[in-house]
Amino acid sequence: MLNKLLKHEFKATARLLIPLYLILLAFTIMDRIVLNLNIFKGVLSIIPGLITFGYVISIIAVIMVTFILMIMRFYKNLMTDEGYLMFTLPVKSHQLINSKLLVSIMWTVASVLAVIASIFVVAAAPEDIREITQGLKYFWEELNKEFGGKVLLLIIEFIIIVILVLINSMLMIYVSIAVGQLFNGHKLIGAFAAYIGITTVLQIVMSIFIFIASPIFEETLTTFSSIPNLVFPITIFILIGLNVAFYWVTDYIFKKKLNLE
Amino acid sequence: MKWELNTERPVYIQLIEQIQTEIISGNYKPGDKLPSVRDLAADATVNPNTMQRALVELERTGLLLTNRTSGRFITSDDKMIKKLKEESAKNQILEFIDKMHQLGFEPEETLTLFIEIVKNKD
Amino acid sequence: MSAILECKSLTKKFSNFTALSNVNLTLERGRIIGLLGPNGSGKTTLIKLINGLLVPNSGSLLINGKLPGTETKKIVSYLPEKTYLPEWMRVSETIEFFEDFYADFDRKKAYEMMERLHLDSKKRLKTLSKGTKEKVQLILVMSRKADLYCLDEPIGGVDPAARDYILNTIISNYNENATVLISTHLISDIEKVLDDVVFLKEGFVTMQSSVDDIRSKDGKSVDTLFREVFRC
Repeated sequence: MLNKLLKHEFKATARLLIPLYLILLAFTIMDRIVLNLNIFKGVLSIIPGLITFGYVISIIAVIMVTFILMIMRFYKNLMTDEGYLMFTLPVKSHQLINSKLLVSIMWTVASVLAVIASIFVVAAAPEDIREITQGLKYFWEELNKEFGGKVLLLIIEFIIIVILVLINSMLMIYVSIAVGQLFNGHKLIGAFAAYIGITTVLQIVMSIFIFIASPIFEETLTTFSSIPNLVFPITIFILIGLNVAFYWVTDYIFKKKLNLE
Repeated sequence: MKWELNTERPVYIQLIEQIQTEIISGNYKPGDKLPSVRDLAADATVNPNTMQRALVELERTGLLLTNRTSGRFITSDDKMIKKLKEESAKNQILEFIDKMHQLGFEPEETLTLFIEIVKNKD
Repeated sequence: MSAILECKSLTKKFSNFTALSNVNLTLERGRIIGLLGPNGSGKTTLIKLINGLLVPNSGSLLINGKLPGTETKKIVSYLPEKTYLPEWMRVSETIEFFEDFYADFDRKKAYEMMERLHLDSKKRLKTLSKGTKEKVQLILVMSRKADLYCLDEPIGGVDPAARDYILNTIISNYNENATVLISTHLISDIEKVLDDVVFLKEGFVTMQSSVDDIRSKDGKSVDTLFREVFRC
């Protein structure tokens, strides 16, 4: 069943995002061409400027529209009239959440990769690639020196953290929407209020934590190696905890406190 | 078939009456095969259980015959149909006499009036 | 076979009022049942509970002996009052959707019904009128071979010809194992199609009876009785 949900989810989102990617592709190619031709003299020199402008807009659009679409999709498909369809399907509520979460993450990662690839296409020259590889090599060597050979662990942990943060940002929005729909007639406002509430509480808890923990940290976090050994693992632990909490609350609300109007 | 059903009386009784009328009048000929319960019910826009109840009752009186494999048929018993026709006519007439009585006509008056109207009708 | 629906002391409260109070209700298989009551009487709440969209405060609701969940959703076909299909989908895509998720969905039947109503399956839902969208939804719901059909106001807001078509579809679809629960306040149009009725008033079941009993014992139509019972 999850596969079918994923397929349907992909269909529903791709129909809006693929055109956007095509526009980005078009602008990427145009800009690449235009920036490497030196034929625009005088008045015509405004053309490369405009195309570059359009290109930048399309990059921003891909990132922002992806983000906004993922949020709106969750709300529209589950909390409005379509919810009557989705919540009466013979699937478990956590499958509904998973399908949206997975597809959201996929599109977010895709958008970032697309933008990076596009920038490369537009701006990179062969020398750039050599420079970048050299720069990366240097970076790697320096890191190795500082972190005493634990660079691989560091990078793996970093990637895990990035993924967890991505999941966390989606789940925080999902749980806010789920909480918001508890309030009859004020679902959207409720969602915003819940989101603000959660971020505020997290900020406060973080501040308290840092306040209490800083003397301890001053003692223990003395070397660079404490980052992969201590800081990152603690961060991962916290992120997993938050993700589980957000997920569980969302699922619970869908199972027991669904309030479709 | 045009069904006239009102909701104040049990519908299955009205269905029985109207199917009987169709048989008496010859619209349903003796030996004709009846449509399925569901088709009849859909035609009359009534509940299939209600139609089934009417048909079962008509089976009980012998007006309809059921063959397990091929469905329901109108009886070929002409005598039975004739008897039903006569009974229906009798009921209509008695009802008519009753109604005329309510208007203040005695049966004898009613008969005279009736003969006169029939004569002048054609 | 067991009763398709069993409610025992079913109660559902919302923050400011009680929608259903101590409802005891048993629905047998093979019946077409009218759930009748004025707006706000609890009809939609009961249907939402059957479909797992709400959870009771107390009491129990069992469908084919099971609590509402994934297993019961496989055998309950729900037609809500609103249009709940994504507007961007084509009619053919909605058929595909139902086929994907419901094992009891009969694709051939759905296409036949669409054809008979001259519905172009390539059209997107957002280009269709409200009445046409409702017909599409009805076709999808009735193309499933479910054990319990829950139709919430299926004929409200539809023209008389469509109304006849809908009632016809319900009748033709009938089978002795399935139950159709029709929630409506348009009684006169629908009462000839009903086996039984359940009267719901302010969250209480005030009466459950066969339609024949009402007509033979009380000598009145269900519509007339309804008007008496629910006189303002």
